[in-house]
Amino acid sequence: MKVALAQISPHLGDLRKNLDLHLETIEKVRRRKAHLVIFPELSLTGYTLMDLVPEAALDPARHPAFQKLVAASRTIDIVLGFVEERGKGLFYNSAAYLSGGRIIHVHRKAFLPTGGMFEEAKFFAAGKNFRTFATSFGKAGLMVCRDFLSYGAGYLLFAGGADLIIVISAAPGRGMTAGDAFATSRMWELMGEAVSFFSTAFVVYCNRVGFEDGKAFAGGSFIFDPSGRRLVKAPEAEEDLVLADLRIEDIRSARKRWTFMRDDRPEVILHSLQRIVGNHED
Amino acid sequence: MKINAPFVEKILCAFIREELHKFGFSKGIVGLSGGLDSSVCAALAAKALGKKNVLGMILPYKDTFGKDVEDARALARKLGIRTRLLDISPMVDAYFSRYPTDDRVRIGNKMARERMSILYDHSVLEKALILGTSNKTELLIGYGTIHGDMACAINPLGDLYKSQVRALGAHLRLPARILKKTPTAGLWPGQTDEDEIGLDYSEIDAILYELVDERRPRKEVIASGFKKEAVEKIEARIVSSEFKRKMPPIAKISPRTVGHDFLYSYDRNR
Repeated sequence: MKVALAQISPHLGDLRKNLDLHLETIEKVRRRKAHLVIFPELSLTGYTLMDLVPEAALDPARHPAFQKLVAASRTIDIVLGFVEERGKGLFYNSAAYLSGGRIIHVHRKAFLPTGGMFEEAKFFAAGKNFRTFATSFGKAGLMVCRDFLSYGAGYLLFAGGADLIIVISAAPGRGMTAGDAFATSRMWELMGEAVSFFSTAFVVYCNRVGFEDGKAFAGGSFIFDPSGRRLVKAPEAEEDLVLADLRIEDIRSARKRWTFMRDDRPEVILHSLQRIVGNHED
Repeated sequence: MKINAPFVEKILCAFIREELHKFGFSKGIVGLSGGLDSSVCAALAAKALGKKNVLGMILPYKDTFGKDVEDARALARKLGIRTRLLDISPMVDAYFSRYPTDDRVRIGNKMARERMSILYDHSVLEKALILGTSNKTELLIGYGTIHGDMACAINPLGDLYKSQVRALGAHLRLPARILKKTPTAGLWPGQTDEDEIGLDYSEIDAILYELVDERRPRKEVIASGFKKEAVEKIEARIVSSEFKRKMPPIAKISPRTVGHDFLYSYDRNR
């Protein structure tokens, strides 16, 4: 299975330009025989939308631009980020999995970073679910950026039997290191390594690049295999298109060696969580 | 506090290039004083935009800082960027002949704003954006003239402390004279930042790093070995200069108000 990570720099608030960028990239990776292409968080709109959120929002089942991408998924699976409007006036920071000319799954970002440089909960409604879904490559699960830094969320996809955990991100770089990367880039890789190893699943992380209001999105997209080995790593803060071959049989080999999935006991976790939630106080 | 200079160079060059291009500009203007910050900024701009796309404006008051003008010119030659030299004394003197003063701060501020006014006019004349040169140290302690040297279209250096700018300058191979130069706002001859502030930059930067980046309370910073007076002085400067880092407050009347809840990104639809 060949996966492409589109480490792009979306145009803030310009759906038409971003749609073109998506379609061009899809065409490019299709020619290179990719089966799945992944775009970053809010790839159709840009990240720092603030009061542009209602204008950027769309209903994926109806919007003509989104339908072009759905149509493009007849020959290649696509993951992308967009602002989703549900009901009337509820806006979500969402990720969609498109395949075979259909929307297979939509995940709504549940953990909205708000504090410091982040203000997402001022503008978005929070999603409530982490679900796995069937794809032609196995069970997949989606997360959006900060979702991935909750190990509870990672656990839910693992408990749901995920073979492939796909994270789309718009993570700004922060902090200096001695190396050629922002300090925060280590945090994402640390989680990628841990989640892939302990879930015996592939973890595919696609982060954006470019600047919005002086924030540098850090890129550094990566893939870890089900044994926690890093397969590819895109450069820091530079546009790139990374292709990697994922051997689906590696999931089985990892699970033969490490029986974390077989040994999981979601009922124990649930029981304990119910007690914690039932007793919780401010 | 230590930076990886090649990585910072890469990020800042990409920032300059992308921000200008988003707004439809390919050229940048830097006010060259002959000092460290404007030299680093010009060197980054030359790398990011190409030397032909950078204009260094040298704006002395008479020949008060002859050596600095020479350093600015030498730097521009080394970088291969264009320069334009204009003496601001006729404009500044015309004003003070009407309102005479020997207040050096008023005179210095007027000069900084005169330079700003010329840079902004050249921004239109040259279809170029002004690259700011205020570093993080100056921004935090308010060591700059509001609407003067602090005015710019984008600021590549605003998140680097003075000592980090110096490290970046060394990496960019700026002339030793510029790297070693005593920092001065150039408001009057013989003025140095460190004399005026009463602390040296290495100390200011180290204290700011603890207070701002590490967000340590004053007591802890003092307990870790910094002089009490120095920490208190710096904290007071941060607080008293808040107005220089913000847009002025707007009295809120309507349901949706600029500066309160009319919330858009600087880069929106770009």
